[in-house]
This record gives sequence, structure tokens and C-alpha cells, in this order.
Amino acid sequence: MAGILGVEAHDGNPHVSPGKSKADSQEACVEPTDLMRKEHYMFLLHQRDETVIDGVRTKQHSLANCVDCHVSYDNQGKAIPINAEGQFCQECHVKTATNITCFSCHAAEPRYPKHKNITSSSVKEINELANNITYDK
Amino acid sequence: MINRRKFLVKSATALAITFVVPSIISNKAHAKKPLAEKVSDKQSWGIHIDTSKCIDGCTACVDACNEENGLTGFGRPETDSQWIRKVTVKSNTTDKITTMPLMCQHCENPPCCDVCPTGASFKRIDGIVMVNQHTCIGCRYCMMACPFKARSFVHETLTQQNTNAPRGKGCVESCNLCVNRIDHGSETTACEDACNNLGHSAITFGDLNDKNSKISLAMNSNNPRRLRNDLNLDQKVFYSNI
Amino acid sequence: MNYTLEKLKTCRYLYWGTFLFLGFLVLLGLASSAYMEHEGHYVTGMNNQIVWGLPHIFAVTLIVIASGVLNIASMSSAFDKKLYKPLAPLSALFAIAFLVSGLIILVLDLGRPDRLIVAMTTYNFKSIFAWNIFLYSGFFVILSIYIWTMLDFNVSKFSSVVGKLAFGWRIILTTGTGSIFGFLVAREAYSTAVLAPLFIIMSLLYGTAVFYLLLRIISKMQNITIPSEITVNIRKLIIIFLLANIYFLILYHITNLYISKQIAIEKFILLDGGGYTTMFWLGQVGFGLLIPLFFELTNKDNRDFPLTLTSIMVIVGGFFAVAVIIIGGQAFPLNIFPDHTIIESSFFDNNIHGYTPSIYEFGLGIGGTSLALIIILILITNLKFIPAKK
Repeated sequence: MAGILGVEAHDGNPHVSPGKSKADSQEACVEPTDLMRKEHYMFLLHQRDETVIDGVRTKQHSLANCVDCHVSYDNQGKAIPINAEGQFCQECHVKTATNITCFSCHAAEPRYPKHKNITSSSVKEINELANNITYDK
Repeated sequence: MINRRKFLVKSATALAITFVVPSIISNKAHAKKPLAEKVSDKQSWGIHIDTSKCIDGCTACVDACNEENGLTGFGRPETDSQWIRKVTVKSNTTDKITTMPLMCQHCENPPCCDVCPTGASFKRIDGIVMVNQHTCIGCRYCMMACPFKARSFVHETLTQQNTNAPRGKGCVESCNLCVNRIDHGSETTACEDACNNLGHSAITFGDLNDKNSKISLAMNSNNPRRLRNDLNLDQKVFYSNI
Repeated sequence: MNYTLEKLKTCRYLYWGTFLFLGFLVLLGLASSAYMEHEGHYVTGMNNQIVWGLPHIFAVTLIVIASGVLNIASMSSAFDKKLYKPLAPLSALFAIAFLVSGLIILVLDLGRPDRLIVAMTTYNFKSIFAWNIFLYSGFFVILSIYIWTMLDFNVSKFSSVVGKLAFGWRIILTTGTGSIFGFLVAREAYSTAVLAPLFIIMSLLYGTAVFYLLLRIISKMQNITIPSEITVNIRKLIIIFLLANIYFLILYHITNLYISKQIAIEKFILLDGGGYTTMFWLGQVGFGLLIPLFFELTNKDNRDFPLTLTSIMVIVGGFFAVAVIIIGGQAFPLNIFPDHTIIESSFFDNNIHGYTPSIYEFGLGIGGTSLALIIILILITNLKFIPAKK
């Protein structure tokens, strides 16, 4: 059961995107994994209207946060755009033949320039980095 | 591997560090809007521009806006986006020359929102006029309707956008008073910061509803006026000493 | 009059030749649009100064024509002119074809045509544009029902009612099209309600001209003769519409000349606008109104050739008229600072804006126009639209 609902994506096959991301080391996403797998776009859709129209800037369902956590770093510690071939968003969307339009406008790389290039790709550093993100300019 | 509990604790700590600590440390007197709260009509954001302090040839505000919103052009000035621009005018009666930045004037009765077929061009409840790029179909009717030519159409495929300023081909865009910064509690816009950093202080952003805000104080002493007052659009951007 | 309706019975080679030629142009239009959408609009002549360009000239002209070609049907149903009854189905068919093609051009020129569904489901009812979406789709539905009532004997008793409804709808529709421009307070050339009646009268003129031209072509292909009463009547109509058009055009410019803040734009269009002034006087007024008027006033014995020539000139002139309104109105810089002269701006605030359309915009326009013609060709070949003596 845990194997199906737990860390691995793709029905038991482990997440095989090249590079390492903070999300790799997390037990759960912002909602239960199976829910996220099926309904992530609904959360994003709901959040996008709240954010654009009402100025709600909570982080839980924010696309920028998805990217910050799920973006992978290559061996040189360079962030790989999340919609690049084989990356987190792109891989599933190609498999399900669903177009992602988010990234024609939204950034597919982490929020801050210093997070786009980190010194190494150790999971520890990625975790610390993601946890210490501040949202003040 | 960390378990869910640790994750939650960590997340909560991160949130606390992120949002609570700065608000305790900072000496800002007025309460910052919690991120989860919707914006309200308690605020009415506006900009005051004292043209007597604006320097001819200085484009700091324009550069800062481009930097903040990732407006890198393609070297094609006729189709590249400009959210803010410098304009120099000469009075027909007195020959007085005035230079000033010109951007979206954030009308109370915005013609762009009246004409938008999908309602993508809209006025937020706190007075910011902006484009909901999720529903903009790129018809450019708002650009036909704007009396200030404040809007730009994204003419080409963009990459490397800033996280805080999503923008893409086929939609219309314009100054949104740095809405992302403001929602995160900033009290200045990028253009204002840049202008202040150079010591010019021609641009003042703030809450028009708050009688003690820096913009209200600047407005009191400067006899500000709106552009094209004859159109009765009640803009939130004011100019002094034109 | 005893008549029956027939399919187009032209020679097979002529049909397929026309079909392939028009089809090729339609594909060319689609390719142009796909290229523009893929690259972005910077490959077109349009920019942040001239935001609506050649595609909009084509689209507005076609939509205006769509409403106008319904004249013939309206006279049969709304004004009970028996003479036009045999031609009414053809007239309604033309209206649908031009409406659809005009709208397709508009949609394919959007920045995000993939979001058409957003435009069809999210409305801002303050926007005249949103109202137009309703007016256009409503017109399409009414016309389809109208054609049905005319072609199917079982429901023919409703045809007069639906015809009257279509007549009313088209007047509102053209008012709506005119108001797209008439409601723009920002631009001196547009902010006047006279644009709405001007558009209606333009639609009557261009529509009648287009109808006559297409009728001539179809009668050649079908090898039938147009009854002389029709030619006599259409010539009279065209003269009346030309005069009315001149009247409203003068009214529009006189109104603007009286409003002192609009004098600058009038001076620009009428006197020193360079290409725009030329388009106005030579294209719109000379080629499109005065010379045709002269031709028709001298065409006392209702000959076909001058009427054909007149129709072509009227349509070309109409294209220029819409171009002067759309491009000319945008080319003139906005009056952001009354009583001031803008001496410097990075955003061309002090320039007369130039516009050089690209081949892609032209391709889209021609493709759209060909779409109208190919729709007509296919439908008159497969359904009975063309009147014939019993």
C-alpha cells in the first residue's frame, strides 16, 4: 500500500528524472500524493484565480513553490527547467499527452538567481536551500 | 528520509522564519496583510510623480521596472514591451519643458476594462488595474481603448521569465504597480526604489486612503493633477509641476 | 413569378479548378496564421502602436459585407418585394459565408487563438466586443434557420417571420461593429456615435455590390441571365446607397470638425496624413464613391458592364474606407498631454505611426476571403440555391 501511495511516482516505479530535487527526499507533497497526482491542476487553477484576482499569496498551492521544490539540479548544481525533457512536469505530461501551458508564461526554474546555480547537488544542501527560502525581496 | 511530522515541523518553522520573524523585526508600523487574506478596498494604491524632481535623461525607473519584471527586449523597439517610459513635453503656452515617467495610470474607471471581452483586463479591489493573463485572448482591444498607450502586447516567445512576473507571448501586459511585491508587504515599487536610490525621489507610491501615508503627504504639498482630466477616468497616478 | 431552385451545374473542370484555387488560398491563409502564431506577432507589420492591422481590415470588411449581402433577402421578407424572393436563399447563404470567414480571420489573428473557448465562455458584459460575440453567433443561428425555412417547403410559412428577425438582427449587428470603434474615447478618430450609422450604410452599399458581383459570376457559371428588373433595381439601390454613404461620410467629418479637439485628427486624415490622406481621397472617396456614382448616374440603360465595374470599385473603395478608419485612426498619436507638445519619448508618442503589412497578414486576409467563396461554392453545388425558371 505504501509502495503505491508513497514516495514513488508512476505506479510503483521510482521517480527517474535526471538530477536531484528537494521533493525527492520528502515523504509527502502539500496534499496526499495520490490526490496531488490526480488533482494538482485543480489546486493550481483555484489558486491562480485567488492570487491574480484577490491577491492571495499563500504558498501551499503556489506554482512557484511547486517549481522551487520539484526542480532538479544536475551534477554541477545547476537547476534544470522543470518542463525540460524528462523533468518532473514534462515527463508525466508527455506520457499522458497533456500540454502544459503554465511555462509559456511562468518561470520553470527556481525563484531566486542564487538558487538556479548551487555549489553541489547534495540532497542536504538542496533541502537547506529550499527550507530557507524567504519571500521578502 | 524525513517523516511527515518532521516535514510539517520544518515547514512551519520555515513559514515562521519567513513571515513572522520579519514582521516582528521590521519596524514598520502598519500591519502587513497576511498572505492568505484577500486584498480589500481598505487600500487604494496610487503613485505621485513630482516632475520637478525628475531628471532629464535619467531612466533609472525604466531600468528598474525592466529588471523587476524581466522585460528584456529583442532590440525591436516597436514591438518590445514597455511598462513605463520616459516622456519629455513642452508647454505650448509657456515653452516650459517637463520630463516624467509615464505608465499605466490605474484609472478608477478604466476604459481597458470596459472594452475587454473576457474580463481579463480588470481592476483589483485595491485599485490596481492589471491583466489576468490566464484569460487574456490577445485581442488588443484594451490597447485601442487606453488613452495613455500604457499597454504592450507580447509579440514573441519569451523564455527565462522572472518568477514574480509571469508573462508570455500573445497576451497584453502593463504596469501592475509591482503587485507581487505589494502583496508580499513591500511598501515601494521597483521604480520608486530606483528613483529614491539616486536621491531624486520623484516617485512616491502608497495608499491614497491613508491620510498619513507618504503619498498622501506628498500630494498635500504639491497640487497634483491627473493627465487627461477631461476624460473623467479618475486615475490613481498623479503628476505635479507639469 | 414561377421559379424553382437548382444546384450549380457548371462544367466539372471549372468547378474543380475554382475549388482547388480557392482551397489553395485557404491553406495559404492557414499557414500564414500558423506562422504568425508560432513566431509571435513581431513577424507582422503590427506593433504596439498599430495594434490592429490588415487582418482586421479584412475581417471588418467581410463582416460589414456579411450584414450587407442580406439586403436582397431582407427586401423579400421584411419589405415583401416579390422580385427578390428567388434570390433570398442565395443572399442569406452569402451572409453566413462572409460572417464565418470574417470571424475566422479575427480569431486567427488573436494573440491566443487557442483560448477561443475562454472568449466563448467568459463574458464581460460591459464590453461591446463581448456583445458582438453574441450578435455574431446569433446572426449565424438566425441565418441558418432562415435558409432552412426558405429551402424546406414544410416550414416555409415561418420564413417571413425569421426573415424579419434577421433584418432586425443585422441592423443591430452592424451597429455593434461600428460601435467597436465608436466607443473608444481615447482616440479622436473614433469617439463618435456617427460611426454606427456610417457602418450600417457602408454595409448596405458593399453588400449590394458584392451580391451583384457574385450573382454575375454564378449566372455566368450556370449559364442563366439575370432578369433586367433585378439589374435595374440593384443599380437604383447602389445609387441611393452611394449617396447615403457620401452623406454620412460628410456628416462624420463635419461633426469632427466642429469638435475643436478633434480638428487635429481631421487635418491629418483630410490634408497632411500622407498615405492615409491618399487612401482617403483616392481610395475611399474617389475610387469607392464618386467614380462609381458617376458611372451609375450615366448608366441610364442599366448595362451590366458598368454595374460590374462599379461593384468592383465599391468593394475596393470599401476596403480602403475600413483601412482609413482602422489604421488611420491608430496612426495619429494619442493626445496624452493637451496643450503640450511631446518632444521626446521612447514609445513613439510623438510620431505618426507607420504601418507596413507583412505578407502573412495579407495571406491570412486573402485566405479568409477565399474561405467565404469556397463555402459558397460548395453549398451552391450541393444544395439548391440558384433560381431557375420553371
